[in-house]
Amino acid sequence: MKIAVLIKQVPDLVEGLEIDASGKALDQDSLRYIISEADDHALEQALLIRERTGASVDVFALDVGEARDSLTTALAKGAERVTLVAAGLEAAPGSHALAELFAGVLRPQNFDLILTGVRAIDDLDGSLGGLLAGLLELPYVGLIRKVETGPGGETAIVQKEFPGGFITELEVKLPAVLGIQSAEQPPRYVPVSRLRQVMKTAKIGEQAVEPPQAQPIAVERLFKPEEGAGASMLEGTPEELAKQIAGLLAERHLLKG
Amino acid sequence: MMPTLIRFGPVPGWAILWVVFLAAAGIFAWRVTTLIRLLLLGRYENRFDRIPQRIWRVVVYILGQRRMLEEPLIGLPHLLIFYGFLMFLLSTNSMLLSGLLPFLHLPTVDENRFLAPVVDVFGVLVLAGLAVSSFRRFILRPAGLQRTIDATIVNSLIASLMVTFLLAEAFRSVGAGAALKGASTQESVWAPFGNWLAGVFSGYPALVVHATGLYYFFWWVHILTVLGFLVYLPYSKHLHLLAAPFSVFFSRLEHPGMLRPGVLLEGGMGAGRLNELTWRQLLAAFACAECGRCERACPSFQVGEPCSPRQLVHNLKMQLFLCGKVMMSGVPASKLDKETCLLEGLIPRNELWTCTTCRACANRCPVFNEHLSITIDLRRRLVERGELDKRLEEALRNLGRYGNSFGQSERKRAIWTQGLDFKPKDARKQPVQWLWYLGEYNCYHPALHPVTRSLARILQAAEVDYGILYEAERNSGNDTRRVGEEGLFEMLRERNTAVLRAADFKDLFTMDPHVYNTLKNEYPELNHGRHRILHHTELLAGMFQQGRLKAARRLSYGVTYHDPCYLGRYNGVYEPPRAVLKALGLKVKEMPRSRSFSFCCGGGGGRVWMEETGEAHSRPSESRVREAAALDGVQVLVVACPKDHVMFSEAVKTAGLEGKLAVKDLTELVAEAI
Repeated sequence: MKIAVLIKQVPDLVEGLEIDASGKALDQDSLRYIISEADDHALEQALLIRERTGASVDVFALDVGEARDSLTTALAKGAERVTLVAAGLEAAPGSHALAELFAGVLRPQNFDLILTGVRAIDDLDGSLGGLLAGLLELPYVGLIRKVETGPGGETAIVQKEFPGGFITELEVKLPAVLGIQSAEQPPRYVPVSRLRQVMKTAKIGEQAVEPPQAQPIAVERLFKPEEGAGASMLEGTPEELAKQIAGLLAERHLLKG
Repeated sequence: MMPTLIRFGPVPGWAILWVVFLAAAGIFAWRVTTLIRLLLLGRYENRFDRIPQRIWRVVVYILGQRRMLEEPLIGLPHLLIFYGFLMFLLSTNSMLLSGLLPFLHLPTVDENRFLAPVVDVFGVLVLAGLAVSSFRRFILRPAGLQRTIDATIVNSLIASLMVTFLLAEAFRSVGAGAALKGASTQESVWAPFGNWLAGVFSGYPALVVHATGLYYFFWWVHILTVLGFLVYLPYSKHLHLLAAPFSVFFSRLEHPGMLRPGVLLEGGMGAGRLNELTWRQLLAAFACAECGRCERACPSFQVGEPCSPRQLVHNLKMQLFLCGKVMMSGVPASKLDKETCLLEGLIPRNELWTCTTCRACANRCPVFNEHLSITIDLRRRLVERGELDKRLEEALRNLGRYGNSFGQSERKRAIWTQGLDFKPKDARKQPVQWLWYLGEYNCYHPALHPVTRSLARILQAAEVDYGILYEAERNSGNDTRRVGEEGLFEMLRERNTAVLRAADFKDLFTMDPHVYNTLKNEYPELNHGRHRILHHTELLAGMFQQGRLKAARRLSYGVTYHDPCYLGRYNGVYEPPRAVLKALGLKVKEMPRSRSFSFCCGGGGGRVWMEETGEAHSRPSESRVREAAALDGVQVLVVACPKDHVMFSEAVKTAGLEGKLAVKDLTELVAEAI
C-alpha cells in the first residue's frame, strides 16, 4: 500500500503577525513558519497505518516557508520519501491552485491513500482535499479522526466526527483522499539527536512544477478587525432609558425625519 | 592442643576442616567470579584514573565511615561492627590457618599480647553494635529499612560469631587453668571479657571439668559459622561488605553538576538493556546495602510518588541476577526476551519520570551509588523511543523551536523589562562587565517579573555595568539534559555558546541555579576559566561585602532560607545567600532539613514539565512550606531559585498557609532594604 501525505507550512501564531506594505499579504520579514497542525496529524495517521500494515509513506510539501524543515522532520519520524514541490511561489496559493499543483504531482504515482490536514489556519474553508479528489476523480471524506485499512488494502474504515458528540464509521473504497482532523494519537516527538542525524543524510527530493495559472479570486485587502469605541452602560427607569436611547440615536443622525 | 587435632571417629579434625574449608572457599570464589563476570556485561568506563584521590575517598568514606556517621544512631554501631569485622578478619584467619595446619604450631592472634585484648574488646563492642542496630531495625523501624529474613540471618550470624569466639576464648582459659592444677591460672595475655567469663565459669565445677571439650565445641562452631558466612555473604545483601570498598574506590570524581554525556549506542541514546549500562553502574547493584538513606532523603518517595532510588538499584540487581546468566552464555542481547531489557523488565517508567534529580539520594549514599546517572540513561532511551509524557513532549518541542519551554516567541524574552524606567544594555551590541543570563523562568513567568525587575533595580542603583542578551538567549538546557533529551541539550548549548562567545563581557551571573549549574559545569567551550560564573546571591553577597550595597533600613521579618538543590547540594553555595540575609540585619532560622540536607521543591529535573502521577499523597513543595511554617516566628520563606518561588508560592496556597507564610526571593528583600 502506498500512502501520500500532503503537508503545508503556515504562519506561526506565536509571533505577532504584521501586514505588509501592499496591504494584501502578511509581512514576510516578521513571519515564521510552522507545519500546519492538521497536516502534522495527517502525517502521524499515515505513520500509524504504516506501523500496522507496512505501507510506504511519501510526504509532499509545497516549497513555501521552512518546508525543508518539515520534510526533514517527516523523514526523522519515519517517512520513506519526501518531496519538495517547487512552484517558485512566495506564499501558499489558494486551495484551487494548490489542488491543481498537487494533482499534477500525484496523478502519475498511483497512491492508494492520500492524506492531508482537513484545514489550515490560512485556509479555513478546508477545500483542498475535496478539490484534489475531484481532479483525481477519487472519493473524499473529511474531518477524519481515525483510519484503519481493510483486508487487502481495498478499503479503509474511517471515523468522522459530528457535532453533538456523534461519530460515524464509514467504509471508503481505495484509492481515496482523506482530510484528517486529528490522528489517533498526538504527533510523535522526534528527539533532536535523531533529527540531526537525519539532517546529515537527508535526501529531500525536489519536483519542479509550473506555477499555477492566474486565479479568478484575488485578495483585495488584508486587515485586522477594527476596534469599536467600547460600550457604555445606560441606567434609569424604562421611560428614562427610552428617552436616552432616542436621544443617542438622534445625536448620531440615525433617526428619520 | 589445637581443636583440629581431635578425631571424629577415624577422621582427624584437620582433615574435616580442610574439606569444609575448600568447599566453602570454592563456592565463594565461584560466586565472586560470577559476580565479576556479571559486571563485565556492562560497558567499559574508565574509573582507573586519579588513583590517589580514589584511595583518599576510601580512607574517608570506608575507613572513616563519614556518610554512615551522618546518622549517628546507626553510624556508630556500624562503625563498631565494621572495625570488629576487620579485627576478626585477622583473628579468624589465624585461627583457621593454625587449625588447618595444627602440626606447625603457628602463632595465633589470641596468644598475641597486643592483639588478643583488642579482638576480645571488639567481640563485645560488636555485640553492643548489633544490639543497637537490631533495636533500630526491629523495634524503631525507620522508614526505608526492610525487616527481611536476610537481615535477620546476617545479624544472627554475626552475633553467633562473637558469642562463640568469646565462649571458646573463656573455656580455653578455664581448661588451661584446670590443666595446671593449682598453679597460677594467670594467662600470659590480657583479654578482659574472655578472662572475666573464664572467672565466672570457674565457679561451676561441672563446666570446669568439661572446659576443654566446650572450648573445642565453640571453636568448631565459630569456624564453621565463619565458613558458612563466607558462602552466604556473596548471596546476601551483605555483599556490600565486599563490594562497597570497590564501589567507593571507583566512584565518580567529576563535579556532580556535570552529567555524563549521553552516548549513542547501537540500540540508541542512553541505556535500555543491562549491557548498555556501564560496569560501574551495574556495580551499584552489588554495593547497595539497602540501608534506605536514599529513600529517607528522596522528596518524591517521601510524598508517595512511585519513586525510590533504593528500589531502582534493587530492581537493577534482580534484573542482573535474572538475566545476567543468560547474557553471559553468549546469546546476543537482541535475541533475548523482553525481560532482559531494563525498561521492559523490572524498572517501571514512573520510577524514572518522578525523579527530580535533586541528588539528595546520591549525596547520602554511603557506597556512592550513582542513581541519577542510571535514571537519566534510562530516560534518554525513553526519549529516543518517543515514550514520554505528552506535556513533556510539548515542552521539548517548544524548547527546540522557540528556545523556551513556555512556547513563547524569543522576541518576548525581554518582556519583563516593561515597567522599568530604564532599559538594560544589550550585551550583544556593547561591551559590558557583567552578562546577566536570565533563564526562561525569570524572562517569561509572569509571577517572577517583579522579582526579575527588583534585581535590575538593585543593579541599576549600585551602578553595576551589566547587559542582557535579549532574544538571543535560549534555555540553558540544564533540565532538558536531565529529562534525557541529550540532543536538544547539545543544540541549545551550541547556540547559547555561539551567542555568548560573540558577546563582549567579563563575568556572568544568573538568578536561576539550574542555569548556573549547567553554564558553570557543562559549557566547557564557554568557560575555560575565562569567565567567572556567579549566582546572583554570590554577586549580591560580594557587593555587600565591598560596601557597594548597604541596607538603608533594617527588616524585621523572621525568615528561613531554602537551599536550592542546584545551588547548594550540586555546587556548594550555602554561605553567600545567608551572608546577604545577615547584611540585611535578618536572623535566619534554619529548617530541620537545610544545606546539603535541603528538601527539593519537586520541580527539578524537568518535573515542572510533566503531568502529576496522581499517586502521591502530597507534594514535596507542600511538605517544605509546612516545614518552614512550623518554625517559631518565621513569616518569610526566602528562596534563591525562580522555580522554588513558583512552586512554593503555589504550595503556600494549597497547603492553606496564606497569610501565615510568604515566599520571597532574596532579591526582593534586598530591594526592600536598600
